[in-house]
Amino acid sequence: MSRDLLHQDEIRALVREAYESITSGSRAVAEKLYSRDELRGVPALALEHALGVGNHLRYARIEPGDTVLDLGCGFGIDSILAARATGPTGRVFALDFLPEMLERTAAAADEGGLDNIETIEGEMEAIPLPDASVDRVISNGVVNLSPRKARVLAECARVLRLGGELCVADLTVEEEELPPEVLTHPAAWAG
Amino acid sequence: MAGALTERDFVKKLERAGFVDVEVLERTPMGIDDCALYPLFTEELLATMRQLIPRDRLDRIAVSAIIRGRRSQAPFPG
Repeated sequence: MSRDLLHQDEIRALVREAYESITSGSRAVAEKLYSRDELRGVPALALEHALGVGNHLRYARIEPGDTVLDLGCGFGIDSILAARATGPTGRVFALDFLPEMLERTAAAADEGGLDNIETIEGEMEAIPLPDASVDRVISNGVVNLSPRKARVLAECARVLRLGGELCVADLTVEEEELPPEVLTHPAAWAG
Repeated sequence: MAGALTERDFVKKLERAGFVDVEVLERTPMGIDDCALYPLFTEELLATMRQLIPRDRLDRIAVSAIIRGRRSQAPFPG
């Protein structure tokens, strides 16, 4: 019998449940993180459900023709912006473990007239892409959701070509820990 | 945020995974009002945070960091 010593399955289930239950959105997060110019033309579905924690794309150095992996694409706003940056000669793999998110990202790409986004269902701990197959990995507020972060980062390194770059925005905490009641609250694993 | 690493641990894990030239490019404090923008933070969680986190920390509960690294060597096996 296998034992889940780190409650990984429980954490994954909490995250899955929290993200599946998102129904309402607002533009507040998108308007906080991205400039008006960046948001111009972004489909409303992606705009109103931005859940990232930073604007890492300003630092991601995506060049025309690059192949980009968006780890945990959510509703697709960063995939849309990355697809614009890499242009028609490049492409974006939008990865998420929730089919609902992939459907929304695909719908946003359609609405935005972008045909260089390919959605992929999968776990960030086991990225379903070959070794050395992408130029850039981007991710926004997602790595902290994994109970196996070292594995996630090793997978990012595996799929990147030599010299390729990872650029992430993510939550970090200071050495002084948050109260245990907060750290053990189920919603704190997704939020 | 229950699963968030310290910045130092995040950078260390990136380096162990085979990334070099790891840089923290931007740090933005995230307070309780920022958390409230996200539907993932339930009202109950926000209330717990307001009650238990010292008032002088409520404007800096976590830090959003933008981190970049370059892949230059074979990663360690995961």
